[in-house]
Amino acid sequence: MSKQFTPNNPLPQEAKVPEAMAEFSPAVEAEIDRHLAKYPPERLRSAMLPLMFIVQRERGWLDKPGVAYIADRLRVRITDVWETATFYSMFYMAPVGKYHLQVCRTLSCKIMGAGRVTEQCAKRLGIKPGETTPDGKFTLSEVECLGSCGTAPMMQVGLDYHENLTPEKIDEILDACERDEYVFSVKVQ
Amino acid sequence: MADLIKVTINGNAYEVEKGARLIDVCRAQGHAVPSFCYYADLALQASCRMCLVRIEKMPKLQTSCTITCTDGMIVTTESEEIEKAQRAMVEFLLANHPLDCPVCDRGGECELQEMVFDWGGLEERFREKKNYAPEKFLSPIVANDPQRCILCKRCTRVCDEWMGEDAIEAGGRGAHTVIGTYDGWLNCSQCGNCIEVCPTGTLLDATYRHQARPWELAQTITTCTFCSDGCQLSLGARAGEVMRSVARDRYVDGINGEFLCIKGRFAHPFINHEERIKTPLIRYRKGGRLIPATWDEALRFTAEKIRAVGEAHGADAFGVVGSPRLTNEANYALLKFAREVIGTENFTTTDAFSLAPFFANLGAPLATHRDIRYAKTIILIGGEPEELQPLTGKQIRQAVRNGGARLVIFNHVPIRLREQAAQFVHINPGTEDAVVLALAGAADDELAAGKLGAEARALADVRRLIDETEGDCVLMFGGELSAAAMSALAQLPQTLGARAGRRFLLHPLPLYNNSVGVHDIGLQNGRLSPAQLLAQAGQSLRALYIAGSFLPEQLSGQEAALAQLDLVIVQELFETATTALADVVFPAASFAETDGTFTNNAGQVQRIRQSIPPVHQARADWMITAALASALDADFGFQMSASAVFREIAERVPAYEGLRYPLLKDESRPVQAKHALAANSDTAGVLNELRQRVQTLNATGERATETPHVGHELFKPGTLTSKTPQFPLLYAGNPKPPTVLISPLYQLTVDEHLRPAAVAGD
Amino acid sequence: MFIGAIGCEPLQLRRVQLERSHTLDVYRQNGGYVALRKVLDGMSPDDVIAEVKKSALRGRGGAGFPTGMKWSFVPKDSPKPKYVVCNADESEPGTFKDRYLMERDPHMLIEGMLIAAYALGARTNYIYTRGEYRYLINIMDVALAEARAAGLLGEKILGTDFACDIYTHTGAGAYICGEETALLNSLEGLRGHPRMKPPFPAVSGLYAAPTVVNNVETLTAVPDIINMGGDAWRQLGTEKSGGTKLWSVSGHVKRPGVYELPMGYDNMERFIMEDCQGITGGRQLKAVIPGGSSVYIMPAADIIGKAVKMDYEGLVAGGSMVGSGGFIVMDDTVDIFESTKNLIEFYKHESCGWCTPCREGTDWLVKVFKRIADGDGRPEDAQLLLDICDNIEGKSFCPLGDAAAWPIQSAIKKFPEDFKRHLLPLANRAAEEKVALSTV
Repeated sequence: MSKQFTPNNPLPQEAKVPEAMAEFSPAVEAEIDRHLAKYPPERLRSAMLPLMFIVQRERGWLDKPGVAYIADRLRVRITDVWETATFYSMFYMAPVGKYHLQVCRTLSCKIMGAGRVTEQCAKRLGIKPGETTPDGKFTLSEVECLGSCGTAPMMQVGLDYHENLTPEKIDEILDACERDEYVFSVKVQ
Repeated sequence: MADLIKVTINGNAYEVEKGARLIDVCRAQGHAVPSFCYYADLALQASCRMCLVRIEKMPKLQTSCTITCTDGMIVTTESEEIEKAQRAMVEFLLANHPLDCPVCDRGGECELQEMVFDWGGLEERFREKKNYAPEKFLSPIVANDPQRCILCKRCTRVCDEWMGEDAIEAGGRGAHTVIGTYDGWLNCSQCGNCIEVCPTGTLLDATYRHQARPWELAQTITTCTFCSDGCQLSLGARAGEVMRSVARDRYVDGINGEFLCIKGRFAHPFINHEERIKTPLIRYRKGGRLIPATWDEALRFTAEKIRAVGEAHGADAFGVVGSPRLTNEANYALLKFAREVIGTENFTTTDAFSLAPFFANLGAPLATHRDIRYAKTIILIGGEPEELQPLTGKQIRQAVRNGGARLVIFNHVPIRLREQAAQFVHINPGTEDAVVLALAGAADDELAAGKLGAEARALADVRRLIDETEGDCVLMFGGELSAAAMSALAQLPQTLGARAGRRFLLHPLPLYNNSVGVHDIGLQNGRLSPAQLLAQAGQSLRALYIAGSFLPEQLSGQEAALAQLDLVIVQELFETATTALADVVFPAASFAETDGTFTNNAGQVQRIRQSIPPVHQARADWMITAALASALDADFGFQMSASAVFREIAERVPAYEGLRYPLLKDESRPVQAKHALAANSDTAGVLNELRQRVQTLNATGERATETPHVGHELFKPGTLTSKTPQFPLLYAGNPKPPTVLISPLYQLTVDEHLRPAAVAGD
Repeated sequence: MFIGAIGCEPLQLRRVQLERSHTLDVYRQNGGYVALRKVLDGMSPDDVIAEVKKSALRGRGGAGFPTGMKWSFVPKDSPKPKYVVCNADESEPGTFKDRYLMERDPHMLIEGMLIAAYALGARTNYIYTRGEYRYLINIMDVALAEARAAGLLGEKILGTDFACDIYTHTGAGAYICGEETALLNSLEGLRGHPRMKPPFPAVSGLYAAPTVVNNVETLTAVPDIINMGGDAWRQLGTEKSGGTKLWSVSGHVKRPGVYELPMGYDNMERFIMEDCQGITGGRQLKAVIPGGSSVYIMPAADIIGKAVKMDYEGLVAGGSMVGSGGFIVMDDTVDIFESTKNLIEFYKHESCGWCTPCREGTDWLVKVFKRIADGDGRPEDAQLLLDICDNIEGKSFCPLGDAAAWPIQSAIKKFPEDFKRHLLPLANRAAEEKVALSTV
């Protein structure tokens, strides 16, 4: 099976499809500028993580146009964005559900019943940890210690902390999400 | 002399230079210390944890790659504790590493395999399931088997530090760390250095993979046939076929270390290509076809024709054209043929860039590539070494990154090396000559700055940088300079004057593997340039003897004139636009099939060695010339021996005096030709001439604002490089195929029009 | 959850129960920014460092390095800018003290950082907070804006020539970034791999400039040290380690929380059984990990009746370490094999992958634990686990390797029975034990 590749112009740069680059509103651009201003001008790369969070907030995950935008703003190569993003567990290189349930599984939570929290969520949503519901609404993950050990068990929905979880509390949260009435209280800003 | 300190290793006391790296000292003194991630002159990694040693008064075992020797240090490299630790590291590395060496392409030359073999007796305690990832392609040239990766990151470091490309990186975290790129496709110059330095079978040469086992190959040390840097490489051949080209330090140890560029490493398939000219060919009547003939018949036919032209029109009806791609021996034989057999000064070469004015005024020694690596100031005027002389490009990068050198670039294009430059002066195209004038002194700043379109202040900054240099200052230039500018540049060391602590070195950047050699031999310095020669074709000039082919830009428009000649003799590897006009074509041997020498841009005379017997009926170029001379009753006396040709060169070319093949045997100790420094140059006169030239300069167009794409020169498919099927794909933009699990060669084809030679020679 | 002091007047926690304790007003009304005033009014940078040295304050992040000494390593004559970076990447399992300090009293951290920046000559400074603590970053941003508006940040602070800025920076989910050099890489927008030491950050840290990286609790101790004087502050604790210390307590205690105790609090048993109100559900204490997960596990027998002193020396004598001061208390329902498996899974997930022993060792350990948990254990596995740990310990690039090895080594040593049960092939186990294991 041979696919004919016929560039109009044989020069490499012109043969390439230009990378689509994400565009953002002036308000978001201003927000990004504010972050860039925190670091010495010759150290733009320092703004990598803050920028990724903003791009992820705006686009849901670090898609190709988003990554291209970050590379362009920070004057780094796309592969530099990739190597950094994939190191950190909070960046998504693929889409995730609108409500990302992240149940802490580390020791303090585990002995205080994290397993039951995961089980309840999994049962109700019909997915296993690491999966997303077919409608793309929920993703369920088991994550490592979130510093909520004294108020275990806990889970994060997006960036919101929900602590001292009980079966009732979990149902309440999931109900709200299902009805799209859940309001995120913590945002990247 | 650096300070010496005392270090004790395994009970033996040694005096070593202060600041020496412990692992280097141990190895130099014969105490084997294993390592994977340590690689000389790359950023330290200290991640493989193989080089652990015990140092007295230090709590834990220490990585010897990160330790700088201090006075009185007491080191143990062999003990039960150390061996347990090192065995443990190998055990860890093997845990997730497939143990199917027989099907791994690196089997037989894998550092991990060798480490295990050296020790023996490793028990496999890891009985769990290994992490799995499928084999895939990162580009048409780089195959990748992620499971075999031990994350030494030599590849990412050479990509970054040698190539300045940062194309390949580590992604992911922990046990899920992988070497790769954002979208799994590698868009880079495809130098393959990542493959070369890979200790395991993780990154593999897709042009060679699964075609041979290393132990089947006869490895031959030779010199690259592409650019003027003259990298040393090792051709691996089996049964008369060159299978691969490598620079692994187990096979070769040249000026380039393990570095090669895409051409040196991957452009060898032309050697055994089916389109090679197989036998001598004769065109018995103009306009007819080339018909295969025997050597005897072709030589007899040619000799007869030469005699006829000579009798009818005299010796000066002949022209001889050599090539900067051929060996010194081949070009010398041509020169000898022209002078002694024909009796004419009508000789030249196809190199458009004559270094004659440069060498005539040479004011400082040529910089070797090692000199460039340790230079403190590098001035680059014109040129684009990262594409045209990649080793020089790499040395510049390392000088800046690892040696703190200051790089100044004058160019009308913002070339990629600009990333390393302390100062980039963006100049008007065609005004490179004015740079030389400005470097010579402040008097002409206004004139120079005006022509260059640069600020006078920038020029003063550069002069100050040169002035303040402590150590080596290398002046490099590309082919843009005029003869006057080249002369003045060669004299700059005199113009600027000597000062203790600073040494000037010069580094020309011609295009071809033997550009400097053809100059030295003298073939370049005949009566007529190639253009003049072609212009007289069919008039006073009646016959041409061409080794190699004209460049397309030289030949274009001259075909009709050439067709009028009574006799055109060509010796070539492949049929080209020049052979299309030939009356006789002799099949020449490639660099892999002959012995000889090339002289690189550092003036180093380096050997090429026969890796395989000549394919089909090909013969070495100098042998063809000698046979032709013999057919004309002139005996060159070379006795079928390249070394005899070279001895005669050494006797007649002053810069090569005393050189012999045995002296050039060791590629790790290259020998520089003794190019004479010009005495008592008339610097004022030369500068004056340059000044007058600069006054008449006009910018020849707009400055380029975009940095050229990686590979825009390297990927150009030429007569030779287009024979590697990957080159046309790369030239077409290296499109990512539908799946990376299968070679793109089986998935994509490119337009036929991209295949024919665009650049003769390469 | 409890948050307060036991056995001393609350210092670090003195404002946490106040309404709107996170605001500048409340902070100022309760002794805030007095220390900064004192410093700017009459102390030289050297005076400040001397006071901190006198206080015997030791880094609260886990390593316990003397803070004053760390500060004094910063070369005064360096032409490069200097940086103070607050390590708020609190990720050590069982540790959550910094979170409440920042949530309830952000200005105390700002004041501490300002004093540190003054002492070290740093103009620009960063608070590196783990990305999951996004709400804290937002709180800090508000507090920083308040401080800036009140002339406590920027040029001419409190009308003096002192100029200083503090910015928040976000992590993004990587435990390793709590290691100070990994944190600096992350702050530079790189992968969070630790760097080679030397050079130490004090000489070549952020942007290769002299940098001090301090934990939140370390920096929030500074205003009190200035206010009280280093000597007085030290006397709250012990000779070698001054002041008070925050302990995070989680797990099977009736009253988990953040406890401020004088350094050298004299009885760990009393702390758990009385201050934290004992074990939940009337069960027995089985084990405590006292310093965040990266320290040796202590069986109840090493605590009950042993009067383990809660400071650096006391906990070492007791068989463990202070670490980050995160107590994970486990009752007798906990299977130590399971709890250890949980931790090694954590370390495998968080290993940065830089060096061989940590990357491959943790991966292997998890696989062995999983196999054992799946009922395919072999008696020789205990020795295998110990040997893998030994091959990691002391050979990894950074301390994360040691941190992964120690909990396993101590667990096998202190709770051999919990391992032995699992190491018999499933078929050989008693029927009732199979049932018990399968419900864990």
